[in-house]
Order: sequence, then structure tokens, then C-alpha cells
Amino acid sequence: MKKIKFMIMTLAIALSIGGAFATSPRQSQDCQGATQYYFNGNYVLAGRIGIDYICVTPSSSVCTYYKVGTTYTPCMWGTYCTANCRASNPTPKKAKK
Amino acid sequence: MTKRQVVLESISALLIMLFLYASVSKYLDFDRFIGEMNNQPFPNSWTPFLVWTVPSLEIAISLALIFERTRMVGFIASLVLMSLFTIYAVTILLHFFAYVPCSCGGVIRKLSWPQHLVFNLFFVVLSVLGIILQRRSSFKSIFITKNSFV
Repeated sequence: MKKIKFMIMTLAIALSIGGAFATSPRQSQDCQGATQYYFNGNYVLAGRIGIDYICVTPSSSVCTYYKVGTTYTPCMWGTYCTANCRASNPTPKKAKK
Repeated sequence: MTKRQVVLESISALLIMLFLYASVSKYLDFDRFIGEMNNQPFPNSWTPFLVWTVPSLEIAISLALIFERTRMVGFIASLVLMSLFTIYAVTILLHFFAYVPCSCGGVIRKLSWPQHLVFNLFFVVLSVLGIILQRRSSFKSIFITKNSFV
């Protein structure tokens, strides 16, 4: 019985920690390691996430882009927000096709 | 292993998975977590306290749920924390605050607020079930111990 208990607990711990690593942005989206841009008519440097801006979720709009060659490719989803994100509903930026 | 014990172990495992996954995800993406905490409707001065307390509390609950001796405390703490998250989700859905982003770790942040509410309620129910089953098995073990002395 103790063996089964031990197996269940080990499996739960391994799955949760493994899952967290597997779904972490650094592991699953290499784009977050690249320089991030946001689109406000032009592509502008986004800054550092959590410090200069956050991507407000849930939102279906593109928050930041990264550069692949000369093309800006969507990286993070949400609404780009730099300050007072809780004061008002930020206007989502439209993604350039 | 009785049916009740299997259910109890499964409930513990599910709650451990939830709390460990959420806390590790927060630590792995800490900058983003700080940013999202700053965006919550409470004062930003609370952020340094909350960004360390919430994931630490989640890890502590997971540890409490692993061991038989502390499991009851783990279930009660889990019920309190999940109830607080549920109340928070309800206040957001009732438009108590202006737009508020999700502040969860990993893939959980992709849930919408109604989905969040259902998700939280599911774990509130699991915690309550855990408390009931744990109490019953504790009483049962006390009863068996008492009878063995007779």
C-alpha cells in the first residue's frame, strides 16, 4: 500500500514540475528570448516584460512580435500595456498581416 | 488499499499537481508574474509580499498534502486558498474592478474568467471532499486503535 502511495505522489510531483518546465515560455517559445517589438502603426521596441510592459490576458490580439529575418512574427498574445493597466481597459493593438 | 484511500490519494495527487505546477510556473516566469501582480486591483506596494507569499504558500500546501500527518492541514489550507481565488474570480466576473488580467502560472493563464471560476470551483469541491474523507478515515483509524485495546 505504501508503495502505491509513494508511486502516486512521485508521479504527481514529477508531472507537475515537468509540466511547468515544459510549458514555461522560455522552453516552449524560443521567440521570448528574442528582442520584442510591439505594433502601434510602426514596430517599436517593447522593452522588458514585467518591467516596461505586460501582456494583458486573456486577449486574442498580438501583444509583441519578434523579428525573423526582415519579417515581424507574432510572439506573445494579449494586450500590450505599459502603465495603469488596471485603470482602464487598454485598447488592443491590431496585428499587421 | 480501500476504495476510500484510493480516492483520498487521488484527490491529494490532483491538488499537489495543481499547486506545484502553479508555483513552479510562477517562479520560472517570475518577471511576468511580477508584472501581472502589479496589474491587479490591489495596491502595487503589496506586490513584493504577494509574489513571494502566494507561490510559497502553494508549495507549502503541496508538501502538507504529501504527508499523512499533515494532510488534513493541507486540505483545509487548500480549501481556504482556492475559496479566496474563487471569490476573486467572482468579483471580477461581477465587474467589481476594471479590467483585470489573469495572474496564474503556466497554461492556466490561458483560461477565460468563467473557465477560471469553474476550474477553481472544481478544486474547492475536491478540497471539501478531501476533508470529509480524511476525517472519516481518521475516525476509523482511532476506532480501530481503540478496539484493538479491548
